[in-house]
Amino acid sequence: MSHSEHEAPIHRTSPRRMGKMLAIIIGIQIVGGLLFFSHYDFWNSYLPIAGKLQEQGAITGGAAQGQATGKTVNVSLKFIESPDFKTYAFNALSGQDRNPEIHANVGDKIIFDVTNSGKSFHAFAVTDSKEGPGPAIEGTTVGTADNPMKPGAKGQATFVPAKAGEYYYICAVPGHREMGMEGKIEVSEASSAGATSGATVTPTGNKVEFSLSFVMSTDFKEYAFNALPGQPGHNPDIKVKSGDTVTIHIKNDSKSFHSFGVVTDPDNPTNVLWNSAFKSPDNPMKPGESGDVTFVAGAPGTYHYICTVPGHATMGMDAKFIVE
Amino acid sequence: MVLELQKPRPVWQIMFSTHHTDVGYLYTVTSLAFLFMAGVLAMVIRTHLFFPGEGVLISDSVTFNRIFTVHGSTMLFLFALPFAAGIGNYLVPIMVRYKDMAYPKLNAVAFWMVPVGGALVWLGFSDTTWVAYAPYSIIRAPGPAADMWIFGMKILGISSILSSINFIVTILRCKHPDLPLRRVPLFAWSMLTVSLMTVVAMPTFAAALVMMLTDRLGVSGFFNPAMGGDPIAYLHLFWFTFHPEVYIFLLPAIGMMYEIIPRFSRKPLFSQGSGVFAFVMLGLIGFASWGHHMFSTGMDFTTKTVFMIGTLAAVPASGMHVFNFLATMWGGRIRFDAPMKFMVGGIALFFSAGAGGVLNTAMPLDFITHGTYWVVGHMHLFLTGTIAFGFVGMMYYIFPLFTGRMYSEKWASIQFILMMWGTVQVFFTQHILGLEGMARRVYDYPTDFTSWTQLNQIATVGAWILGASFVIFLAQLIYYSSKGKEANMDDPFKLGGKYYYPYQAKTPHHTGY
Repeated sequence: MSHSEHEAPIHRTSPRRMGKMLAIIIGIQIVGGLLFFSHYDFWNSYLPIAGKLQEQGAITGGAAQGQATGKTVNVSLKFIESPDFKTYAFNALSGQDRNPEIHANVGDKIIFDVTNSGKSFHAFAVTDSKEGPGPAIEGTTVGTADNPMKPGAKGQATFVPAKAGEYYYICAVPGHREMGMEGKIEVSEASSAGATSGATVTPTGNKVEFSLSFVMSTDFKEYAFNALPGQPGHNPDIKVKSGDTVTIHIKNDSKSFHSFGVVTDPDNPTNVLWNSAFKSPDNPMKPGESGDVTFVAGAPGTYHYICTVPGHATMGMDAKFIVE
Repeated sequence: MVLELQKPRPVWQIMFSTHHTDVGYLYTVTSLAFLFMAGVLAMVIRTHLFFPGEGVLISDSVTFNRIFTVHGSTMLFLFALPFAAGIGNYLVPIMVRYKDMAYPKLNAVAFWMVPVGGALVWLGFSDTTWVAYAPYSIIRAPGPAADMWIFGMKILGISSILSSINFIVTILRCKHPDLPLRRVPLFAWSMLTVSLMTVVAMPTFAAALVMMLTDRLGVSGFFNPAMGGDPIAYLHLFWFTFHPEVYIFLLPAIGMMYEIIPRFSRKPLFSQGSGVFAFVMLGLIGFASWGHHMFSTGMDFTTKTVFMIGTLAAVPASGMHVFNFLATMWGGRIRFDAPMKFMVGGIALFFSAGAGGVLNTAMPLDFITHGTYWVVGHMHLFLTGTIAFGFVGMMYYIFPLFTGRMYSEKWASIQFILMMWGTVQVFFTQHILGLEGMARRVYDYPTDFTSWTQLNQIATVGAWILGASFVIFLAQLIYYSSKGKEANMDDPFKLGGKYYYPYQAKTPHHTGY
């Protein structure tokens, strides 16, 4: 259809209308700009809740710093490179001094004195990841990959391991770890806590049997195994050898509900070791009920056999389970 | 603004109209406004990178991150998508010979979501980058900016789904009974393809946004590794939407080339059928290649191979388009007016960008180029070289329809030369920068690497040239829409054929009240 069929004249865009449109657009932009700049600090003012929770430790991602309770270990490290920039390392390019291995216990305070003695940019970090440039444990970094240590720069970082295991001190600049800037930190449990790793072991076939019963005082204030406190046979120590197949005959001689388990930490009854749980707090033994549980005792150490119903262990149903 | 055959209407009547020409006009103007706003940010970024180590214009890296985040989000969601929707609104009902879009009010609602989403994105000025990868975006990106970005994207996503539904229904159900679907002009076909793709692809991103929001609130941990989530899952959800989205940005530009090239070659289109086939192919293949954005995330070899082949499968279909253009131009009496110049330039750059993309999808090379300026160069070469060239050319072509006036051919040619020159200088240089190892999204780089400094400065000069071309574009749009020569509305380009004449304009507005 062509334009000639229309009788009315064509009204074309006029400067006035163009001006109106520009005024609307520019007006919106000015109002928006005023809003934006007058509240400049507001727009980026808070961390998301997930980030806040993480900072408070409600969500823990990976390894974290622990409480310093042990000795202080001083380590001095230098970033060095071979002249052809093909080999990177800490302290020495080869030999014993290269990437020295650090041994420490949980709670020890390891202080790193870091110097960039190379010609390139580096960043120091401690991580528990076995490969790649991180993630770094908070507070253990000197420089970052984005803002690295320049040649000659020095810094200090502190690392207090919270858990036993293998950690690594590395250069956090991507690629440098792979080229050799990586050293191991072996962290073992502090000696006072005993070597209660809770690890499972292969059964030796040796079988041992024990009998236990849950007992309670008539006023429901004292809880114990076999006999009330002060009476003979109260909370007997159970001694077994690592790898023994242990069978325990359990009887509930009390008027309340109970369940059985071997744990490392009686304050944390949910973490029952070696499938040693008999019943559970959700589905406990009723008064008078009895049963057997059979499990293989794991790594040597001093453990606890407890009533896993929350609160019962602290009220007395907590005795030693020693694995030799 | 829109060509008015009867007496001029008040501006508010255009703003609150639901007629497809008015909504299309609003879409176009809004998207152009956002184009120039985001363009200013691009100029700031490039000028900053001209002076390494001096912190010129941008004083800290967080501000730098915020600027490139908003630049990216705006160019993609507030320029490329609304511009295509604007031109589509204008032309699709005319092409399928229907009086309006199928759902006029829905159309207006879809448009009015764009400024709202835009306001959220621009007021917050988030620093998540336009991809907003977890875990940064969920545990560290400061609020309310990042939350506003999430809601802005959500609104823009809903807007594009609504307008897509509208296009699908208009084209499939409201086309003239005499017009078989295979004869529908290829621009309308491109809008049909991208609308179908949007409807399939966009909900995934919408879901990812909701998950991201609840993750930020700490109530869920879909992408939060500290709560057992997987950040890679976000990448899958994101790229399942945004690789198809690449074609959603691209295909309307290809459709505009189909609209303009035959007219200015003064020769019928070489093959309608192959164009339709290639659109549908690209629409399907677009969903088979999202994994190529994630080759370096530790995918297994078989998956990578599948995605590599899926990506390469886009080559024949893209080639069909290019050959269709060339065969149409072959032997034609070509008039190199501004729209045609931009389209031909766009085809040339489409070829270069596509060649870079093919290299990029080869797994071994991808490991070298990943996360470098190569990727920046590749993506921008597509977006500027093909999509913006197509859009600018279309803008010149449709200019008489919008204003009843002609632009200046001389200034349009100057703009074309500068734009072509600038595009090549910035984005080809960025490919080389990437191969030299410069990471993308960096705030600063060491001055000791002289070749980085030199290449960055070359790219920045290119960006200034590109910027100058857009200043000319803006000045022309403003000046010639009110002062330009009156256009001959039957055939403003003297091509001897029919121009779109808004024959519906006898009753041009059923305003929405």
